[in-house]
Amino acid sequence: MRVTAQAKEQTRQRILASSRKLFSQKGLERTTTRDIAGEAGIASGTLFNYFPSKEVLAMTIVAEALDEGRADYAAKATGQESVEEALFLHIVTGLRRLAPYRTSMNAILERAMSPFSPSPDSADADRVRRDHLEAVAEILANHARRNDQTRNQAAGEPEPDVATADLNFVAMHLYWSLYLGVLAFWSRDQSDKQEHTLAMLDQAMQLFVDALNSGDTEENTDGATSH
Amino acid sequence: MEPQVTDLIAALPEGIEPPLATTAEQALHQFARDLARKPLPVGRMRRLWTLGTLQAKIAAAYFAWWLRTLRTDADDRLRQRDETHLKAALQVLGTMSYLRGAVMKVGQLLANHPNVVPHEFSDVLGRLYFEAPPMHFSLLREQVRNELGGDPEEIFDDFETKAFAAASFGQVHRARLKGSGQRVAIKIQYPHIGRVVRDDFRNLRATILPMRLSGDWENLMETFDDIRRMLDAETDYEHEAENLRIARSAFAEDECIVVPRVFPEVSTRRVLTMEYLDGVHLDRFLATNPSQELRDRFGHMITLACSRLQFRPNLLYADIQPGNYFFMPDGRLGFIDFGCCHRCSANDVDYMRECQEAWFSRPEDVRATIIRAGCLTPRQQADERRMQLMKDYTAWVWEPIDRDGPFDFSNADYFRRGVALYGELLKRRYVRSLPVNTWITRLIFGYRAMMYHLRARVNIATIFRSESTIGR
Repeated sequence: MRVTAQAKEQTRQRILASSRKLFSQKGLERTTTRDIAGEAGIASGTLFNYFPSKEVLAMTIVAEALDEGRADYAAKATGQESVEEALFLHIVTGLRRLAPYRTSMNAILERAMSPFSPSPDSADADRVRRDHLEAVAEILANHARRNDQTRNQAAGEPEPDVATADLNFVAMHLYWSLYLGVLAFWSRDQSDKQEHTLAMLDQAMQLFVDALNSGDTEENTDGATSH
Repeated sequence: MEPQVTDLIAALPEGIEPPLATTAEQALHQFARDLARKPLPVGRMRRLWTLGTLQAKIAAAYFAWWLRTLRTDADDRLRQRDETHLKAALQVLGTMSYLRGAVMKVGQLLANHPNVVPHEFSDVLGRLYFEAPPMHFSLLREQVRNELGGDPEEIFDDFETKAFAAASFGQVHRARLKGSGQRVAIKIQYPHIGRVVRDDFRNLRATILPMRLSGDWENLMETFDDIRRMLDAETDYEHEAENLRIARSAFAEDECIVVPRVFPEVSTRRVLTMEYLDGVHLDRFLATNPSQELRDRFGHMITLACSRLQFRPNLLYADIQPGNYFFMPDGRLGFIDFGCCHRCSANDVDYMRECQEAWFSRPEDVRATIIRAGCLTPRQQADERRMQLMKDYTAWVWEPIDRDGPFDFSNADYFRRGVALYGELLKRRYVRSLPVNTWITRLIFGYRAMMYHLRARVNIATIFRSESTIGR
């Protein structure tokens, strides 16, 4: 039983490795499930025991790449970044991991992550969105906490309970739209080494943080970065 | 007389006029005080140029004043049309992203004209260039990764994540080369800035083009395009690296003039890695109350450096300003930032030689060189007032060279006369010129302002004559 589970996992990993290779070489559209099965050394039918469709497979790859990106983010972040820098770093580490599929995956990204319709492809798409937004919420909460500490220390008051990020609905939708906009821009960016995306991402994150802060100045207390 | 800040502000069209409650001068003082308290608001690209800052208003006002001086007829209908275009042009100016860099350069030019702006303002502006870190480290790291194939911490040892200087279109960080341990300064460009510069210029050109303010418009557009080409070249650090190599080879070790070495294996179009030079800039040097002898010595070296570059490799170093020189502890002069260097064409070299030879050896040809300098039409040549003013200005330019012995550049009267003459040329719309004169004028005023601040006495005639002989 244990061996079977291990063998299954090995096959699954082989399918994923073959798909990564083919998607990055030929693109999603021009890769067939038959190609993937052939590359992985399994029968075409067997593939469907693991992944119900090519799109689900692709979304799994995206989700894993973004998980790796988040691990990179955790390794690189020092905790001393400004909130816009932290948000920038969080996205850019994900883009690095997605880079091999940049031009080939836009269809799947668009379909799976669009705010217009829930993903038909797999639970992975929902997980990607949830994980990403949770990470963003954490960045904002950490930043708010740091600001509170600085302020309270400056005022000589004891540290308060940790503030939880009360991310409001509008802010998160605004963020997600910006993020998808960056992804769409990046996947079509013709500039050398996609340097336009870097500038665009930098400014998009600044825009987002400005929007949160401007909400604060109008005494909208829902923003997570109240300072 | 050249315009005062108040005149400039007053020259703004309605609706653009800045809400300066008090006098412009008071506002400038306030501005200078504010700057001393907080980091400069010029850093990030996101700060689109909303004409909200005072330096933006002043630059815009100069621009408006300059355009107005070009209108030769008094037709109200045309003037109104111009006002509309001018307003549009200023609004375009207000949304230009690139002007983060441009305003610094304009600010530096203004800062070098003590007559135009109060002294505090010029002091602060002189420092701006070095105190505005615009990229956060995560963005910078991505740019380095794109360019050099690895994170800065992997490529270099002791990479300092905090920039120690702002640079044209980017910022400068300190580190060491792996292996050799060589200390380096790494200039890293903001991503995408080249395109922003090109877009800004295209937009601005399209907006001011319909104005056709004078018969000299074509000539002005040539100059405009020349500036655009220069800025375009400035966004290519490989171009600058080549200038650095050319300049470096022009000086012998015992001349004590140091141009940093470039490390091509860790340099690209967007990243420039150079030898790090230890030293202080002009303001800190002057704060040590240096002796007259030491000031003269550095003045001599700055003069020699500019002359050598002009006459030997035919490079016009058009960006003479305090931030580009290092007064090194061992007495040497460090000389950086070769982005804004004009490589002279054969025609430029011929023109400069002709001017020099005429002035010193063939006075009968001076008139012809003035005509060539100003690309003057027969009608303009017949305008004796114009010819005389250009000749007076030329005499002012040659004055420190056309004499024996050292010239005392601390003489404020000399500097003021030059500014007044140049202002008069602008005021009278005598703006036709060979494009190369844009760079020569910058060099002339930049050099003299630098010498004025340094209060140096330099035997420029000797240097000029020996260096220009080398070029023959």
